[in-house]
Amino acid sequence: MSAPALKFAAFHPLALRPLAAFATAAARQQATHRSELLAMAFGAFMDVFARISIWKAVYAGREDMAGISLAEMITYALVGSTFLSSWDAALIVREIGAAIRSGQIGATLMRPVSFPGMLFAEQLGPRLLQFAVVCLPVIAILASVYGIQPPASPGHFLLFVAHVALSTTLLFLIAIFFGLLSFWVLEAHSLEWFMRGLTALLSGGLVPLWFFPPALGAFAHALPFAWITYYPMACYLGRADLFTSTLLFAAGVGWALVLGACIAVLWRLTTRRVTVQGG
Amino acid sequence: MVGREDATSDSMTGEVRAPAPPGINLALYWHLMRLRARTRLQYRASLVLAWISQGFGYAGTFASIWVILNRFGGLGGWSWPEMAFLLGFHTFAYAIGAVFTFTQFRGMDAMVREGEFDMLLVRPVNPWSFIVFSGVDLQYGSHFVLGAGLMITGAAALPLAWDAGLMLRFLASLLSAALLTGAMFTIIGAFAFVLGRSRYVFGLYFDLWELSRYPIGIYTAPLQIILFTVLPFAYMSFVPVSVMIGKPVPLLGGAAPVLALAAGPILALMAALFWRACLRRHQDIGG
Repeated sequence: MSAPALKFAAFHPLALRPLAAFATAAARQQATHRSELLAMAFGAFMDVFARISIWKAVYAGREDMAGISLAEMITYALVGSTFLSSWDAALIVREIGAAIRSGQIGATLMRPVSFPGMLFAEQLGPRLLQFAVVCLPVIAILASVYGIQPPASPGHFLLFVAHVALSTTLLFLIAIFFGLLSFWVLEAHSLEWFMRGLTALLSGGLVPLWFFPPALGAFAHALPFAWITYYPMACYLGRADLFTSTLLFAAGVGWALVLGACIAVLWRLTTRRVTVQGG
Repeated sequence: MVGREDATSDSMTGEVRAPAPPGINLALYWHLMRLRARTRLQYRASLVLAWISQGFGYAGTFASIWVILNRFGGLGGWSWPEMAFLLGFHTFAYAIGAVFTFTQFRGMDAMVREGEFDMLLVRPVNPWSFIVFSGVDLQYGSHFVLGAGLMITGAAALPLAWDAGLMLRFLASLLSAALLTGAMFTIIGAFAFVLGRSRYVFGLYFDLWELSRYPIGIYTAPLQIILFTVLPFAYMSFVPVSVMIGKPVPLLGGAAPVLALAAGPILALMAALFWRACLRRHQDIGG
């Protein structure tokens, strides 16, 4: 494929229209698989339930730990593991790997739409649907049993909503980054597991970084993974004032830009590589 | 069939060719496993990378659990060494069962749908055994290393007297838990004959499987009852490990030591019956 076509696809504002179409089509496709959505809801329910059980067990007889109460941890489990941690974005790595192995990537690159953009749209559509039909019902059911804390303030809530968008974007960018590496490594399966391992620990998905040993905590606080679950939930719970929370959000946007730049470079190298292989 | 034809060019010889009743031809199964292993070992670097990366993925979750225990000192009355032993046992026993059944039965619905399974029915071999042994999966290296490492870490810090009795119980418990894993995957695979699509059921399996990583006592009573009875995930590691390290088992009490060893064989028997019933139904439909 020619380089100008790629540029058009990646930067022209009109390219958003096909991306929206991809997102809608993917969401519709997901909506038709009701049993899959039900299974997803069951999975999310069990996952949140397990986390709440863990926190209830470790907090038995304790008021708080590191200044965090049990009620806050239940909220962290409810909101964090549904809106922020339930998306197994590592599957994107598998998808890219499969497209490379089967050669389908060649046909995909011929389309007048950027490949990463298309992948993002295809993930975003079903993800928004899952927010509505999986996450919200699970939160509502379990919150009615265990209780949930409201956001610290309206300002924190608005910032949290922005954080959810940033978290989804970062997770996607990290997945694309790992996925594009499979043009060189050709072992998407392994890259997928590396990503899963890093995200499981460093995003604060299961355990917030407050509870980490100091050295590991300091390291994890600075990496982009922390903006996937930990910082958004810290914002929701009002662990920092609005000004600091806004600064932290800006730092997360900075990470997104850095990752975006890395992907742009990788993507350029990748498309050249595909041309060489094809020629 | 592939196994028989290829047998002539290998060290496997007479036994494979000799007519034997389907289902008990051990030499053939051994040969099928060797074929599969040799195929996978053609790409050694890829296999090792898969082990390392999968181990890394699991280590991320185990590290999170360690962080909780490190900070809070315990989880539902379980200290880190006890928890390490539990996690190690869970991972190791699962891997033994999964080597023979997971990837094999994960693709079962596609096999049935695309008619590949019907091809097996006309072969002079038990279809279940063929699927299991010809698909033996070597990707669990990191499970074994991580599982053994965690068990050794835990056992070293626990006051366990590793005499012949405990050793025997440990091995029998591992076997029972591995049988339990294989039986569950067989049952889910057999759903393909009834449901048409069974792959998503594996997702449900793993949702519950992840619960069984933790001490079952931390869950509410109704869920505990489910995990001890209709969905017997408690026997994957919680019951056998509790018995070995002398921790009380809720609901089961004095029956726990026997059930820890019997759960696997019992479920395997039930899985065999279920598989046969579903297979009969499949043949009925097929005419």
